[in-house]
Amino acid sequence: MRKRGPKDVPVPARKNVDYLFSVTYEELRRLAVSVKSGDQASTLNPTALVHEAWLKLARSSEFAATSHLHFKRIAARAMRQVLVEAARRRTSQKRGGGGEAVFVTFDESLDQPAAQDEEMLRLDRALDDLARLNPRQADMVEARFFGGFDIPETAQLLEVSEATILRDWRAAKAWLAIEIRPGQ
Amino acid sequence: MDRERWEKIQSLFHHAVGLDPPSRTPYLETECGGDTQLLAQILSMLEEDEHGSSLIDRGAGQAAAQALDASLSQREFGPYRIQRVLGEGGMGIVYFAGREDLGSVAAIKVLRDAWMSPSRRERFAVEQRTLARLSHPSIARLYDADTLPDGTPWFAMEYVEGVPITNDCLLLHSSIQDRLRLFRAVCEAVQYAHSHAVIHRDLKPSNILVQADGAVKLLDFGIAKQLDQTDSQHRTLTGLRLMTPAYAAPEQIRGQEAGIYSDVYSLGVILYELLTDQLPFDANNRQPGQEPLKPSQRARRAGWGDLDVLCLTAMHNDPQRRYGSAEALIRDIDHYLAGQPLEARPDSASYRIGKFLRRNQRAVAAAAVLFAGITGLVIYYTVRLAAARNEALAESARTQRVLRFTLNLFQGGDKDAGPATNLRVTELLDRGAAEAGALENEPEVQAELYASLGEVYAKLGLLDRADSLLHAALDRRKSLFGEEHPRVAESLVQIGLLRDNQAKLEEAEMLVRQGLEMSKRKLPPGHPGIAAATHALGKVLQDRGRYGEAIPVLQEAVRLRSAPGVAKAALAESLFELAGAHFYAGNYDRSEELNRRLLSMHREIYGARHPMVAEDLINLGAIQQERGNYPEAERYHRQALAITEAFYGDSHHKTATGLTLVARALGYQKRHQEAAELLARALLIQEKVFGKIHPRVASALNEMGVVALVRANYKEAEAVFTRTAEIYRSVYAGKHYLMGIALANLASVYMAQKQDRRAEPLFRQAIEIYKQTLPPGHLNEGITRIKLGRALLRQDRFAEAEQESLAGYEILSRQANPSVSWLQNAREDLGVIYTRLNQPDKAKKFLARAK
Repeated sequence: MRKRGPKDVPVPARKNVDYLFSVTYEELRRLAVSVKSGDQASTLNPTALVHEAWLKLARSSEFAATSHLHFKRIAARAMRQVLVEAARRRTSQKRGGGGEAVFVTFDESLDQPAAQDEEMLRLDRALDDLARLNPRQADMVEARFFGGFDIPETAQLLEVSEATILRDWRAAKAWLAIEIRPGQ
Repeated sequence: MDRERWEKIQSLFHHAVGLDPPSRTPYLETECGGDTQLLAQILSMLEEDEHGSSLIDRGAGQAAAQALDASLSQREFGPYRIQRVLGEGGMGIVYFAGREDLGSVAAIKVLRDAWMSPSRRERFAVEQRTLARLSHPSIARLYDADTLPDGTPWFAMEYVEGVPITNDCLLLHSSIQDRLRLFRAVCEAVQYAHSHAVIHRDLKPSNILVQADGAVKLLDFGIAKQLDQTDSQHRTLTGLRLMTPAYAAPEQIRGQEAGIYSDVYSLGVILYELLTDQLPFDANNRQPGQEPLKPSQRARRAGWGDLDVLCLTAMHNDPQRRYGSAEALIRDIDHYLAGQPLEARPDSASYRIGKFLRRNQRAVAAAAVLFAGITGLVIYYTVRLAAARNEALAESARTQRVLRFTLNLFQGGDKDAGPATNLRVTELLDRGAAEAGALENEPEVQAELYASLGEVYAKLGLLDRADSLLHAALDRRKSLFGEEHPRVAESLVQIGLLRDNQAKLEEAEMLVRQGLEMSKRKLPPGHPGIAAATHALGKVLQDRGRYGEAIPVLQEAVRLRSAPGVAKAALAESLFELAGAHFYAGNYDRSEELNRRLLSMHREIYGARHPMVAEDLINLGAIQQERGNYPEAERYHRQALAITEAFYGDSHHKTATGLTLVARALGYQKRHQEAAELLARALLIQEKVFGKIHPRVASALNEMGVVALVRANYKEAEAVFTRTAEIYRSVYAGKHYLMGIALANLASVYMAQKQDRRAEPLFRQAIEIYKQTLPPGHLNEGITRIKLGRALLRQDRFAEAEQESLAGYEILSRQANPSVSWLQNAREDLGVIYTRLNQPDKAKKFLARAK
């Protein structure tokens, strides 16, 4: 069987995108609940839900040749989209934009989340910038941060050594930290 | 910034990181020259590297907690006022709420972030609909449902205060009998849900609460599945959330479709826990196919033989061998409590053989229906026409014209004539078709005739003729009435059923669904056209093996056709399919009940000695056979045989089929000698009727060969299978999967005699034929490749064996209901192969799963 490079990540059909979205949303929501309840051990490890999603979707032809790792990679992309979309909606709501009434019942009193929403949006933009400078590094950050990939998995996914991942990660993280500071 | 600069930044950054902190700035100042921006950038990065606590360091969990932390400020939902949070999960929040006007309480479930995706909204709606259709004292019920102005959906349901069924305090003072009674109440609630076409799919103690008064309540239908859900999107949606692995059935863990049998499995695990106070498996380290310790061993209790059987039958890895329903489980609990023997039987070799043989039964039954004698056909059409006549008289001259035409066609049909009459009817039909073709100036009549004739051709198995006529009818109707019309719908359904007959099942389902939807749009509710289309859908779903979906559809067809004024034969037709669906779904009790009803209906319609009556007796026999009640099965099949023989004579192919069925029942009772005698008679008849070279003769030979192989009469088996293969070769020119089966069977005879080299090329030929004639990845191919793998393995050709066994294993693993024994065989073989290939890791993997 031909090995798939990260560039070959298939674009899922609309129905499957939605499915993947709701799976990752629930994974993130589950994670959010455990973080809030002070469970320090909780990490982003989308194995359970995403694995199940993979089992399901792997039977559809578009995913038939997708390995579990690459599927997890697609899920990481979905997680990024979910979080960015959530942040975008909340900030646009704050600014009175959008014209939708969707969030009127949500608690809008805290300013803190708004700052964090902005941070998430800046991370999203910075990752797009990084993708132009070094696509592999952007893939790496997306997989590690949004997909919970560990170092060996990331190395396997991107087909480079673990040492390279560690190096790339360190530089990218430092650079992104600056980029996502307020006022940048 | 460009790529080059980014590379430079990184290179300087990495170098600086390697230096002592004091020497970093001087180094960078030198390297950056006058580029102060570069210098500042790298220094900032170093700082972040050392002290960083950005979003990325905090982790996505924190990000999720922040981004998704939109707590609801809404306090009121309809008449309910929220008091506290009961629980929070991926899907939404559950609140405890009070209702002041009534002084009552409820649990409110709210879908958060409903905007996120349509599938989440849909699933939430599904749960709500599921609860709405269930009304049972042991199931938490739905009170109210609505949507907030911002689009957030919510529903209110019964608030249940209780403890999980496996709660220590609860169980502290309860005997095994008490526990079983509690468990029985759970089974009843589950059975109720199943009878309303709802599968729970997440049965576990935390979803089964016992209230202070000892009453049991089933909660959380969050991932329940409605069996009659037909929209394909629902299918991908179901099971979105992970079920709890400790209680999930193996097929759920593999990500396969869950059914009634999956709930039965979960019930088994709960029973296990109730009996032993422990889970059967370590939930964190559960291997697929793993077998639990017997409850008696786990609890170190003697005299628990029946409890072991009860529990482990419910928890069998092979869904086919679990209790077929919660009801069956309840029955055995009752038997246990009453000190009676259980219905479940421990595994035995004969059962496994039975299971293998019964796979063919369906083909035989289908063939029997397809080749329904001409007499039955004439009666069928007479009844059908009688019903049509009333309609026609009231309707139009057009229909009358069709009716006359059709009646004329059948006039003189001799109901006592033998099979040769088939030819005469075909001639008549051909003449009819030619006449209809001449009616170009009466397109409406022509369309009707084509539709009717097409249907008759299909009944006679002349599928190509049927195909062109039914399509001609569809085309004419479309140009006469437009794309949307009840007649167009009727044509779609007819062609769908033809596709079903041609085993193009996917297309069949699509067409029939189209026809059904159109009928519903264009016809008043309860119209016979809708009933017919519903019936057709049920039949197609059944033929696709989706019995769970077929059952509610066929129930609807039965309901529609139970209306006054509908011909009894039509109702019987739907009942017949429903009985079949229940049979294949393993609901033998339901199927038996329906077949008994059919038996009396058919006796009433056709008299006690009609082939349709024999058909019902055969089905009742098959049910007994499934239950392992072989003497009773034999009795039914002999009754059926007597009718068939009296009706068709002792040299009719239907008589031969009847003999074969009796022979099988005898085979199960290990009365091989008697079985062989009956099969020899059957063979003689088939040869007399069809000549020496005919597929039916081959089929009879195949039966004989199987018996001979079981009796280790290898010489006879070899001769018989060789002849079978020769017949198929000359009839189908080797282009039929049956040819493959004959070759594979012959090879099996050689394998049984350890002549592996002789078996090998035959297996290879069989596989080649399957590849050409069956859809890719067919079960037959899988099993034969595993057999070939074994033949190679026995010749120490491990690398080649690996290829075949693995390919076969993969094919079987993808089957909805894989043959477990062959999967096991493949695992064992692969274990040996990899051991011999010096790949212990892989070997271990397979051996571990081969238990």
